Amino acid sequence: MQLKGINQERRMAEDQNILNNPDPNYWQSFEEFYKSPDFLKTHEDEFKEGVTENFDSSGMSSFSRRKFLALLGASAALAGTACSDYRDKGEIIPYNKMPEEITPGKANYYASTCTCCADACGLLIKTREGRPIKLDGNPDHPVTKGKICAQGHASIMNLYDPDRLKNPKKKNEGRFFEYNWKSANDEIIVDLMNIGDKEIAIVTHKIISPTTKKILDEFVSKYPTSKIYSYEVFDNSARNSAWKKCYPANEANGAGEFPAIKWNDAKIILSLDGDFLGESHNLVENARLFAEGRDVVNKKFNRLYVVEGNLTITGMNADYRMRLRSDLHLNFLLSLIDALNKKGANIPISSGGLTLEKFANENKLDKQELASLVSDLWRNRGKSIVYAGSHLPEDVHIAVNLLNHSLGNNILYNSDSVPVSMIPLSSTSDFEKLISSMNSGKVAVAIHINSNPVYHLSHDLGYSEALKKVKNVISLVELENETSELSNYVLPINNQLESWGDAKTRTGFYSLQQPVISPLYDSRQTENIFLTWISGNSASYSESSYHQYLMNNWEKNIYSSLNSRLEFKRFWYNSLHDGVVYSNDKISLPDSFNFESSDHIRPAPISKNFTLQIKESYALGDGRFANNGWLQELPHPVTKIVWDNCASISPTTANELGLKSNDLVEISNGKNSLKIPVFIQPGSSDNFITIESGYGRRNGVTVGTVIGFDATDLLKTSGGLSPWLYTDVQLKKVEGEYKLVTAQTVYAFNEGLTADLPNKRGIIREGTVEQYLKNPDFYRTDKKHEPESVNPDITYTGLKWGMSIDMNKCLGCSECVIACNVENNIPVVGKEQTDKGREMHWIRIDRYYSGTPEDPKVSNQVMVCQHCDHAPCENVCPVVATTHSSEGLNQMVYNRCVGTRYCSNNCPYKVRRFNYFNFRDHFKDSYQESPVFALLHNPEVTVRSRGVMEKCTFCIQRISEARSDATREKRDLKGSDVKTACQEACITNAIQFGDINNKDEEFYSYRNNELGYYVLEELNVRPNVTYIARLRNTSTEKA
Amino acid sequence: MSTDYSIEAPSIHGRLSLAEIEELVAQPLDTKPDKKFFIAITLSTGALLIGAFCLTITFLYGIGMWGNNQPVGWGFGITNFVFWVGIGHAGTLISAILFLLRQRWRTGIARFSEAMTIFAVMCAGIFPVIHTGRPWLAGYLLPYPNQHGLWINFTSPIIWDVFAVSVYLSVSLIFWYTGLIPDFAILRDRTTSKIKKTIYSIFSLGWRHSNRHWQHYEKAYVILAGFATPLVLSVHTIVSFDFAVSILPGWHTTIFPPYFVAGAIFSGFAMVVTVLVIVRKIFDLQNIITMDHLEKMNKVILATGMMVGYAYATEFFIAWYSGVQFEQFVFINRVFGPYAWAYWIMVSCNVIIPQLFWVKKIRRSIPIMMVIVILVNVGMWFERFVIVVTSLHRDFLPSSWGMFIPTVYDLGILLGSFGLFFTLVILFTKTLPVVSISEVKAIAEGSQPTHHGGNHHG
Repeated sequence: MQLKGINQERRMAEDQNILNNPDPNYWQSFEEFYKSPDFLKTHEDEFKEGVTENFDSSGMSSFSRRKFLALLGASAALAGTACSDYRDKGEIIPYNKMPEEITPGKANYYASTCTCCADACGLLIKTREGRPIKLDGNPDHPVTKGKICAQGHASIMNLYDPDRLKNPKKKNEGRFFEYNWKSANDEIIVDLMNIGDKEIAIVTHKIISPTTKKILDEFVSKYPTSKIYSYEVFDNSARNSAWKKCYPANEANGAGEFPAIKWNDAKIILSLDGDFLGESHNLVENARLFAEGRDVVNKKFNRLYVVEGNLTITGMNADYRMRLRSDLHLNFLLSLIDALNKKGANIPISSGGLTLEKFANENKLDKQELASLVSDLWRNRGKSIVYAGSHLPEDVHIAVNLLNHSLGNNILYNSDSVPVSMIPLSSTSDFEKLISSMNSGKVAVAIHINSNPVYHLSHDLGYSEALKKVKNVISLVELENETSELSNYVLPINNQLESWGDAKTRTGFYSLQQPVISPLYDSRQTENIFLTWISGNSASYSESSYHQYLMNNWEKNIYSSLNSRLEFKRFWYNSLHDGVVYSNDKISLPDSFNFESSDHIRPAPISKNFTLQIKESYALGDGRFANNGWLQELPHPVTKIVWDNCASISPTTANELGLKSNDLVEISNGKNSLKIPVFIQPGSSDNFITIESGYGRRNGVTVGTVIGFDATDLLKTSGGLSPWLYTDVQLKKVEGEYKLVTAQTVYAFNEGLTADLPNKRGIIREGTVEQYLKNPDFYRTDKKHEPESVNPDITYTGLKWGMSIDMNKCLGCSECVIACNVENNIPVVGKEQTDKGREMHWIRIDRYYSGTPEDPKVSNQVMVCQHCDHAPCENVCPVVATTHSSEGLNQMVYNRCVGTRYCSNNCPYKVRRFNYFNFRDHFKDSYQESPVFALLHNPEVTVRSRGVMEKCTFCIQRISEARSDATREKRDLKGSDVKTACQEACITNAIQFGDINNKDEEFYSYRNNELGYYVLEELNVRPNVTYIARLRNTSTEKA
Repeated sequence: MSTDYSIEAPSIHGRLSLAEIEELVAQPLDTKPDKKFFIAITLSTGALLIGAFCLTITFLYGIGMWGNNQPVGWGFGITNFVFWVGIGHAGTLISAILFLLRQRWRTGIARFSEAMTIFAVMCAGIFPVIHTGRPWLAGYLLPYPNQHGLWINFTSPIIWDVFAVSVYLSVSLIFWYTGLIPDFAILRDRTTSKIKKTIYSIFSLGWRHSNRHWQHYEKAYVILAGFATPLVLSVHTIVSFDFAVSILPGWHTTIFPPYFVAGAIFSGFAMVVTVLVIVRKIFDLQNIITMDHLEKMNKVILATGMMVGYAYATEFFIAWYSGVQFEQFVFINRVFGPYAWAYWIMVSCNVIIPQLFWVKKIRRSIPIMMVIVILVNVGMWFERFVIVVTSLHRDFLPSSWGMFIPTVYDLGILLGSFGLFFTLVILFTKTLPVVSISEVKAIAEGSQPTHHGGNHHG
């Protein structure tokens, strides 16, 4: 029954279905097909009960859709971030609006002026995405011509120094607190206003900016009790005062300073302890002009005689070098004049009975060399120059001026571009007066403009004691220093790359300084701070005040004098673009010599004790670069010591006293004394001590504090032959040793096996000009022998990169090393790691001595990756991490490198560098990993991690950039399109780079120079770096 | 005294019965470890842990924890590697070459020296990995296909090393295991412990001492011995290529392959003697590892020591004869330079002191022999140190010369490698038969078939 009923129902449904849905009728289930009522009922509503109709949210799960999506999103984000261990967690922020002038990935260059020292070299600043990353010379600058010194290159690090002062600070009860500008300025202005008849002392370094001078003048007129004291630790005071005495007419003309010398016109140069190729004064121009006179391509050779107390960069480059204690130079000069007078020179000065022969006997000087010196000077009258070191006493300079004048050499003084000074430097007696006023309470405010007199001035003066008597001491500094420690207010000032400014150092041009980045911290520009103080109202400050002031000053005072045809705005922008403005001011050098100036000169008494010279550090200057790790780690050009100074003494003296390098000694200069390690310096004269200053900073912040020894401890205010030269100094051995670290192990002389290795091994090839002129192939003693190779030679038909290094021009100054550090993101590793032999420099300067330890000859050799055609490093790498490019480059693939160091072992030049640590993390508590430091890095160069091998790439990033430029311009890449960082930095253009295969380029003549050779040629690794053999221009009579 | 050389002297002393042999060898496996064992294992794992600690620090901070620098890119790491690979040479030589040469006396010491080979190669294998700057990328040294299309550099001797050492380790392991199968079966049959029985059953692969098993076994063993023989020569040859293929004076020498192989056998035998002397005493195996064994090994040490000495002399001769300034300098620098002390340790330990083995009494005196072989081990370690460090520290450009001074981490890792080695050796003595039971039985007196049919059955 029941069954029947169902069947009936089904049939009915079937009929209905067919009726309702004619073919084709799609069905999915029997229920659907038979249209069961349940099915129909459930399908009546498309959605479940309670979902659409009578929807009641309270019956739902408390999970809202929104919440569900939020949680889903959050968990996905969480899962995403938790599982990702990206090494770089930095944010990438695109430009919201594209700034004008900036193309991401493209560098912008701005001209400016370097204010690291008083030389004011022209800068060309490379910026990427708005941050400066490299400094180079401004090629339009008339004096420096596109080059700057090592400090200039390294000073980019000062901008990003994590130690920079970030806020104003005020001292309260002996401790510094962060403060704000407004209150600080308010309080200072109150002090200045209520100064009464008390003095405001402004202590600054040399002022080179006309506009700064104007502001200081305004400050003085607003606060009439102000006095300006400017100083440089290593000024040219002796040379300049001698100059004034010899040519008194100059002062009337406005030129009170010793002029620049046209070294390139000099055939014969005699330098008396004058390190004109090393000392910071006008170094860039000196080196460039000097090297112009050493040109193997045009066969032009000057001859450099150096008589010096200790081996210097200049001495390393001498053709003849004689060692003579610095206090004997006056007597030497008088003897020399006597010898010249015998030739008929008729120089009006009494030799005091000295003769050259006697002097040579007493001081063991080579008589033949002296004879050739005398005849050279005599024969090359008007084409030679005698130059004395700035630390020598005034009398020496007077005698030198007299000698130059009498021989007619004064035509080599550069009269086109004469040094000018804004404010004369203060003398020691000025400072003595200042300190006595301080002590008597007459000074109420002392302002230090980025100067550090507590560290710099002789402790005899008692500056730091006197400062305690000054009510308000203000220091305007970038980094804390010994003076700021004793101040009440420490105000952060802008770095030179954040500053506006101008400079006037020579006649004929002005140079301009412009900021390339906004101040990184809450710092202000010095001049701007002064403007606020002058206005007497702290609210008057605006960031552009000084910019405005500078433009106004230029418009009113300088622009008007230039007779420019452009309207001022355009003139101003043009000038900023160029960085230099030519002017037509002229100072003529008079030729009337005041012969009375030399009348008082008598031979100096000979001191029996030690003579001490305090010398400016090649790397740290007067100590202002102490916190710059790159400069601290730069091997000293002569000693190769890093991270320290030392007392250099001669091997003979060391023997006599039983001293060896690293022994601590106590040096006493009167009542001042200093404990310092000795270093045996070949080529130093006997009983002579040389100490470089700039070290031993008691507060040099993170990097520079107590590195080395403070030579200021030995400075005396009187009693020295000059502030940097003292006789009657005692040296006493004391207990203990101090380890000096040299980047190059002291190379032993003529000791059996190691004797003459550089020559025997074909590392250094040298000769004399005469040998060369007779036979250009003279140094190829062995016939060139090329062994047969099993493998076919790879030929490079297209571009092939190569480098040439002219050892005649290379001075060993190490500028290239710093430039390479900046360009290629080289980390600072520290003294201890350098001691272990883990320095990271990609370019180094090898220094070899030959001859005797007493009178060595020096050969410098720049060493970079030689990019060998048969590179021994390449075939031993198990993972092909170092490969050869089709353009002859030996490349490193950092990502692939596992770090077996096999390549380094197999490199005969040992130019590969291994990241034994993450050095940025390892040195000084990750000092180099602070976020601001990352801004310093060149974005085109990988920052290498630990465990990876690295080496010189021939600046492949620059090659790539040049290639993409060429591609865009639809032309072929040329060798001359690329300049490596070292090449760009080399003042003397000793480094050349280009395409080996292109016969039309200048580089071809260097690559294929007659004097060209490869280092370790016999290994047949076929390097692509050519060295041009050094020629010493010794005189024909002797050779 | 006249000796009858026509009759081979018995390799086993004391006329041990087959059951006694079995009992003697298997005994340490049946007893609980005693106090001496625990002291020994504590010392060795202590050393191992020191090494592990130093290694952890190295992994955390970098190779800078070691003394390596420019110019000395390789220091203790590679020295230890070559040293341990060298130690690993005696085992295969004894088990494979001596087997093929039918030196029956090898049976008493073969198992042990094979085990030492494996442990030493394990120690060695660690160093090439840990000495890299980025050990977590050591996989790059293997030729595996990858989407970067990167391949390894087959011209680099380090790649040859990877293959040579890994092949050597695997072949040695298989060879060793094959030899162990019959012994596993014996142990399986002896033991009453269920767990042990299961383990031994698995490893004995169903061995039932059947004739057929033996037949297959002997064949396989000969084949493996034949396969392992060239490896003895090839591994250290290739290790020596690490140096010989470079262009560094002091490394770039064609004499290196034979010189290294001789040195490896020399040091390997010295290490085997060092350990065997102790083991035979502790486990009372004087009758199986007899004084004759030790004497024969000492003779090998004497012979290979002189080969090494000859190689030293040849190097000097060639340096002089070649007229190459760099070569001459390197060798004179070795003798008189700042690392002269290391050189003289090497020469006295490797060449001069082993000469005492000319004297039979010394060859057969346990204490003197012990001192000499330990000195040989020291000397051979220094040989590698001298080759690695003195060649590197003063190479082509005098400006780059430097010194290598090891740090505590260098020393700690060296100590740790000894810790690992001895830990493995000590564990081995308590878990596996240190002497091949079945092979020794085969050469026991009376076990060979004779005309009189005196064959026993074990």
